[in-house]
Amino acid sequence: MTSGLLAGITAIEACEVWAGPMAGSLLGDLGAQVVKVESYPRSSMTRPLGVAAGAQGSVISDDDGPPYELSGIHHLANRNKRNVAFDIRSPGGGEAMRRLIASSDLFFEGYSAGTMERLGFGWDEVHALNPRAVMISMPGWGVEGPYRGYVTLGSGLDAGAAHVSVRGNPTRDTSFVQPIFHSDATGALTVILAAIAGLRRRDETGEGCFIDMSQIEALTWQLPGVFAEWTMNQRRPERLGNVDPHIVPHGCYRSADGDGWVTIAAEDDRQWAGLASLIGHAQWADIADPRSGIVGRLRAREEIDAAIAEFAARATAEEVADQVQAAGAIAAPVVPAPGMLASPQLQSREWFEAVSHRYAGTKILGGFLWSVEGDEPSWDLPCGLVGEYNHEVLGELGFSADEIATLERDGAIGDRYEVASA
Amino acid sequence: MTQPFAGVRVVEVGGTVAAAAATKTLSDFGAEVIKIEPLDGGAMRRLPPFLDDRPALDGGGFHLALDTGKRSLALDVTTASGRQVVAALAAGSDLLVQELPPDDAEALLAALPDDGASTVTISPHGPDGPFRDRNENDMSAFAWTTRMHRHSIEGEEPQRYAPQVATIQVGATATAAAAAALWHREQHGTRSTIEVAAVEAMAGNVDSFFAIWTFSGMDLPRPAGPSKAAYPAGNYECGDGYVLFAAQGEPFFSRLCAGIGHPEMLEDPRFMDLAQRPLNWDLFMEYLDPWLKARTRLEVFTQLQEHGVMVAPVLEAPDVITDPQAVARGSFVDVEQSGGGGTTTTIAGPPFRLAGAWEARPTPRFGEHTGEVLDALGYSRDEQIALFRAGVTS
Repeated sequence: MTSGLLAGITAIEACEVWAGPMAGSLLGDLGAQVVKVESYPRSSMTRPLGVAAGAQGSVISDDDGPPYELSGIHHLANRNKRNVAFDIRSPGGGEAMRRLIASSDLFFEGYSAGTMERLGFGWDEVHALNPRAVMISMPGWGVEGPYRGYVTLGSGLDAGAAHVSVRGNPTRDTSFVQPIFHSDATGALTVILAAIAGLRRRDETGEGCFIDMSQIEALTWQLPGVFAEWTMNQRRPERLGNVDPHIVPHGCYRSADGDGWVTIAAEDDRQWAGLASLIGHAQWADIADPRSGIVGRLRAREEIDAAIAEFAARATAEEVADQVQAAGAIAAPVVPAPGMLASPQLQSREWFEAVSHRYAGTKILGGFLWSVEGDEPSWDLPCGLVGEYNHEVLGELGFSADEIATLERDGAIGDRYEVASA
Repeated sequence: MTQPFAGVRVVEVGGTVAAAAATKTLSDFGAEVIKIEPLDGGAMRRLPPFLDDRPALDGGGFHLALDTGKRSLALDVTTASGRQVVAALAAGSDLLVQELPPDDAEALLAALPDDGASTVTISPHGPDGPFRDRNENDMSAFAWTTRMHRHSIEGEEPQRYAPQVATIQVGATATAAAAAALWHREQHGTRSTIEVAAVEAMAGNVDSFFAIWTFSGMDLPRPAGPSKAAYPAGNYECGDGYVLFAAQGEPFFSRLCAGIGHPEMLEDPRFMDLAQRPLNWDLFMEYLDPWLKARTRLEVFTQLQEHGVMVAPVLEAPDVITDPQAVARGSFVDVEQSGGGGTTTTIAGPPFRLAGAWEARPTPRFGEHTGEVLDALGYSRDEQIALFRAGVTS
């Protein structure tokens, strides 16, 4: 990792799916030395053992190799870390885990509350093993409380935080609102802040500390508008879709290219003047016309929306967006994956990463979340194979070659999962 | 024991949602944040909702939630005079977070001292490239990330998330990078210059299926309603609303069958044979639907969670605040505002729990600390009058 902001910090990730693994990747991007301890012999949800109909985790590339090494949703959240696979229930795997904890600054885990205690790696044990370690437990609803032990993906937290109730198409009922995994993205970011807060606390007191990170609480503060409607005005927030009650135009319009869509907005009179002229209604920005002002536009919402819809339907989403932007207003095409890959901006900034992987070959993945001048993150370690760094990491922990061989023979560590027969 | 970011001095510039969100958590965890606001109050203070729907710079729901504990300096940073004030502040600070139009952002960076604060610059598209100067908003930046496209039904209008949710994620991204820069500065005494482009911050994180496409060539279908092939996943109606399932895979499907009292389904090839299951959604609903309809959201949630099923209640805002878990944990807190009149606001509590680490303090009135901050920087009263007369402060 060329980024050195967090160089010198050693971290252990014991997490599955997206929030925790993405946090491990971000720590790695920032220069921390991250070891990802994967469950063994049970694989994780994003490492499919076969191709099951319709399950997202089982959408894999058709490259040769074990299916659990070929899942895009696994690769996207795992980089810049060294993978080990321990059966921490076994004596040998447990000992490897204890030594790892004893030698690390940070241990973060994403299992349901109570799981790590049952496995002998709760806070009391971690603190006894390494009095300077910072531990973050990040279950969906947090460590303490009546929902202790409950299981979820990010989609469930989105529902429990009231986001499902306010997003989606306002003309459809709740059953049509798609599951999303936004809380995984916010949870990953929160781990970085929590880790540094914990390490600063450790440096102040000389002693490690425990952080109870509820992923739903990590999301909730990011929905201030949703809660303020209720706390300030006792009003249940409505599903608005792309409409803004105070800005016209503000919407998403069908373009000429198949199922293409383009977002368009004019947030003030200046933007509106450019847009009105572009869509062939320059007079709507004339001072004599009520629509030149925002109140007039609010009152003419349907008429203006209809005119913009007509304009948007004349060209592709990208062309419409280019024209609207050139006219000084706000617009962007609603891009699917190929559209994002073709973005002139992301291409110009060389944002995408072509990552080589033993089984997946060279694949294009999304780039980094930030750039640090003179200290750019790089994709030094592609998504790790199961147990790829078992030997290296165990060697660093003082296990001899013979001991490692014994661990392997006993099934305490491993480098492959049993694949379901077709 | 102090708050973890006690003693850290942060300058926020721009008056935007992303910049406010970026410094909010640092403030609540102990940093001293000076919020430099444009003379019109900035975009974030103008966001609804407002108390009784009366717009006021000091009364917006976003401001009251995201500006906790900050001090407010009203300053025009697009002028040379204003930039000099920012530079003086940055010289004694650890971090400056800004979101300004690209040319203004560049000019401000150029005015800062070389050995001053680390900087995090937020923009829609980054500091270069053909879209550098494009103006975007919460909806249009999101549209570039594939996530808006995924958030739709095939053939229907794609939808943004709830207003400003995407933008606040960008702010939280800036926080993570800023925290790393603060750590580095503390360890090595060197400053960092960081750029966060909103589109990249959103597109590079998870909640994206871009990698599924690059790996498999598939753009997954966007079905109308819950999938009838891989089920149950998505929102299902119950006695008093909806619950959201993610129980289509094992071991969750089997746990669900047991949890609703139909363990015989586990022997039924129509469900357990993955080739047959997609053909039998209607039959499945004959088992699940009556069970759900006889129960409330919280009953479905708690009863099935006892079986280890991934299910969650679809709550509305008031339900979230009174949810048993939120009440037990104190997930929402009351903040006594300093503006007088005994105003109290209820906002979300800490994003993580570390003893004695988090406190939401009152939000500043617009420009409340302008004089105080300028005093501390050593500006004489005549110099402050000069800045005021020149229209640089308010």
